[in-house]
Amino acid sequence: MTRTLLTGNGAAAWGMRLARADYLPAFPITPQTEIIETVASWINRNEIECRMTTLESEHSMLTAAGAAAATGVRVFSATSSQGLLYGMEMLYTVAGWRAPLVLVNVSRGLAAPITLEPDHNDILAARDCGALQIHCATCQEVLDSILLAYRLAEDWRVRLPVIVNLDGFYLSFTREPVQIPEAAAVNRFLPPFDSGNLCFRASAPTSQAVAVLGGGPYSYFRYQAYLAAMNALGVFEEIGQEFRKQFGRSYDLLDTYHCDDADILFVMLGSFATKAREAVDHLRASGQAVGLVRPRLLRPFPKMALQRVLAGKQGVAVIDQNLSPGGGFLYTELATALYDQSTAKPLLVNFIGGLGGRDISREEFFEIAAETRRAVTAGTAPLPRLLFTAAELREVRKLQAIAGSRREPPRREP
Amino acid sequence: MPKHHRSNALFRIRFHGRGGQGVKTASRILGQAFFLAGYEVQDAPRYGAERRGATIFAYVRASHDSIYERGIIRRPDLVVVADETLVEIPAAGVLQGVTKTTVVLIHSKLTAEDWIKRYTPLEKVVILHPVKTRRQELHLDSAACAGAAACLAGVITRDHLQRAIEEEFVGQKGSLVQANLTQALDAYNQMALDSGLVIAGSGDQGTTPASPDWIDLPFEAADISAPTIHAALTSTQVTTGLWRTLRPVVDENICRRCGLCSSYCPEGVISLDDQGIPVIDYVHCKGCLVCVVECPAHAIHAHPEPVPEGEQT
Amino acid sequence: MNETHFHSIKDLSTHHLLGAGTAMCAGCGGLEALQVIYDILGEKTVFINAAGCMTLLSVYPYTPFRGSWLYTAMASAPAGAQGVRDALDILLEKQLIGTDEDLQTVVLTGDGSAYGMGLSATSAAIERGLDFLYICYDNEGYGNTGHQSSGATPHGARTATCRTVHGFSGDKKDLFAIWAAHRPAYVATVAGAEPVDLARKVEKACRLKGPRLLIALAPCPTGWGYDPQETVQVGKLAVACGLWPLKEAVQGKIVHTKPPGKRLPVETYLKTQDRFAHLFEPQRDEQTLHEIQERVDIYWREWEE
Repeated sequence: MTRTLLTGNGAAAWGMRLARADYLPAFPITPQTEIIETVASWINRNEIECRMTTLESEHSMLTAAGAAAATGVRVFSATSSQGLLYGMEMLYTVAGWRAPLVLVNVSRGLAAPITLEPDHNDILAARDCGALQIHCATCQEVLDSILLAYRLAEDWRVRLPVIVNLDGFYLSFTREPVQIPEAAAVNRFLPPFDSGNLCFRASAPTSQAVAVLGGGPYSYFRYQAYLAAMNALGVFEEIGQEFRKQFGRSYDLLDTYHCDDADILFVMLGSFATKAREAVDHLRASGQAVGLVRPRLLRPFPKMALQRVLAGKQGVAVIDQNLSPGGGFLYTELATALYDQSTAKPLLVNFIGGLGGRDISREEFFEIAAETRRAVTAGTAPLPRLLFTAAELREVRKLQAIAGSRREPPRREP
Repeated sequence: MPKHHRSNALFRIRFHGRGGQGVKTASRILGQAFFLAGYEVQDAPRYGAERRGATIFAYVRASHDSIYERGIIRRPDLVVVADETLVEIPAAGVLQGVTKTTVVLIHSKLTAEDWIKRYTPLEKVVILHPVKTRRQELHLDSAACAGAAACLAGVITRDHLQRAIEEEFVGQKGSLVQANLTQALDAYNQMALDSGLVIAGSGDQGTTPASPDWIDLPFEAADISAPTIHAALTSTQVTTGLWRTLRPVVDENICRRCGLCSSYCPEGVISLDDQGIPVIDYVHCKGCLVCVVECPAHAIHAHPEPVPEGEQT
Repeated sequence: MNETHFHSIKDLSTHHLLGAGTAMCAGCGGLEALQVIYDILGEKTVFINAAGCMTLLSVYPYTPFRGSWLYTAMASAPAGAQGVRDALDILLEKQLIGTDEDLQTVVLTGDGSAYGMGLSATSAAIERGLDFLYICYDNEGYGNTGHQSSGATPHGARTATCRTVHGFSGDKKDLFAIWAAHRPAYVATVAGAEPVDLARKVEKACRLKGPRLLIALAPCPTGWGYDPQETVQVGKLAVACGLWPLKEAVQGKIVHTKPPGKRLPVETYLKTQDRFAHLFEPQRDEQTLHEIQERVDIYWREWEE
């Protein structure tokens, strides 16, 4: 077992390598490109046995990925942001094919305005497509999650595509020590892909992904895919335990930190959650009972696990690194998860932070805890709060002055 | 070995330089050296689209414990400045979060006293004397900066440093590895008296954090709030001349007034005056030196940019 | 290489491999072409389909194919073929399957995909040298949605989205020229109404490797407005009037395989279809009729010179 410094992108490439993916349909996009470049360099040096084909768009890339999986080989691919959206039609389609493959998404904010830095609106746009989602917080998790993702995708109870998400820059270009498991151990954990009757062979005529007439069959097929996705909750826990036995690292549905005795919890996704964890240490040091919950599996949504960990808490600060009219995605999803509980529910307070890679400072986590406490005392939650300072607005004003934006809009009839 | 090092504290080290200077490499050498010395490490560059000459920074965190901080280092223990001309550029943010306790390592021909006199927050300034000036070897600055920083941290041995460079340059030409090793180890030795000067966690002493000063962002109609520029040529407000490390200068006595430099200038910043002599707009010239190479009369020469004269506001 | 099994219509198979019972319209000219093609290709094929009329060939739980089928999406059937081809090659290389299990990858799309949304994916598949056969059934409109204008709609035709006095004012895109410009191994135009020519071209395409593409004129009783029984006649007239030149290009060299000796006036063809009826009633649209005839004349004059 080697422990070495790897970027999140490097860890993703290593995950693919250890998983012995047969096929990589590719299309470059920042900040993902390093993944396919790394794999290409291994192929060029004959270090791995994998076929890589560069397609002309993410739409074609995902089509080729799904088609190859439907022919019965192990497929890996990677994209980001605009690319994920460009391929969106095929995400739904390939999930409907029930073709298992692993797609890495390196989160990056969506245009417009176009940016290279991360937030989660890209990956969350794919939340209903039928593919499962694993969200990573460290480079180690990126590598490990790809192995878990193949087990999950290829499990007969699931057989769906799985997206492994990591944050651009904060993980993609950041090096951390990563334990690279032994190939033999990975082979034990992840056997070769047995595609079963998912194939195209001369001896086995197969018509895949055919049309249906009428809502009955359509409902049946879609709901079967839904049930398969829901199975992933149990399967993930199962393979997580197997992973721990094999490699010693734990992967539960939720990553929880100081939750048991906390009265206030932070809920976050992805690598920014480690910043929250650091803040929790400081808050604990100052005597505040604050904890952190980070869902690893976001699709399917680990509703029951969240209900359990949130039970009895006074307030929950949901910090969404995404924006949707009405509040953050995680906030609305969590509110739904808690709604049908008969016991007292914690007060949910929504914060929108980290859009387009904006940093969230330790001071802000302190303030988030304080504001959540004030809301608990008042008994009502304020409107979603954007983490945005007066100094930031002053900076924007300077830019607007250069851009020639008029400060006073013309009067309009109401 | 360390004088004041607390075993579980977090080193926060920030590198500043220009694209092409190897700031990312420097952070990786230092990160790898910490890792080989038994530390948990996080290293990362920060840039948008990479551009030669533009300012970039990188950072290294190292600790015996797991590291949960991410992103920008706001309270550095050590700031490494590979290019001294960056200090006076506010956008480069070299002095951001720097306090009296922060060690600032500057690759400079000036003395520590000069710097302390010019910039008020500076107190612990260490000078790394530049060895190479040839532009082709600019990237070697990175090895020197990493070597010096390694010594200042006080927990990295020469052996760690050497292995880190070998690791980071694996697969590269032997002569390149050797050149980097020489630079790094020379710089390491130069710092011998200040070994262990950087104290992990010293930059992060504030225990009562200030309120973040959030505001409720007011609604503004799309004619203001859409990402639209209602003007032409606003890019000229960007002083790309600050990217320049070498300045092309026209020798009027040799110039044949052919205007070729103006035609070839990728930035379009060379115009001809009424005598036909090229006039270079130094506010915007990035110092690519295409004009120096293309001038048929060899009338344009590259000169090092003058060292900043003092604090300019 | 140039020897053919197909000298006359008697040489064509009368035992058809493609199953009956599909949802295609009665008299579908595209299906007519596909029959001949499938008889030659056989069951060791996987058809990669894009959204269009023929998506309804395989409606759960029914398929007319003896071999395999994959529906992808409107824009990216050639990319689907890439994925299947690559995967089969991987399995062959790793000896996880034998060559007896290998399949021909065949893309099957309408003109809506081929001339429009799928053009980029096709261009890229050709440039990658993908070993596949592309069959475009060209019914000159978005047939499956009620025959709106597509990139293949001809000058003067009325469609569901173009009901103007003179019909569609633009020109049919020259997809043959676009594809041929990529220098694929083989590209040809065919028509189900000229089955011997069609069979020879499929035969030729099957002997080559790399990208091989066929554009099949697919007379469409539903979208064009004629009685289904006239499908073959309509197709023959398109060829005889010089509107649908039967040709092929091998490595860029273009040959007309069945040039009409003495071309019939285009009116003969146009009069058979409701989509051109406005050119004759209530009065003759001499201008548009002239434009259509002129385009055909210019085309052939250029070739005959």
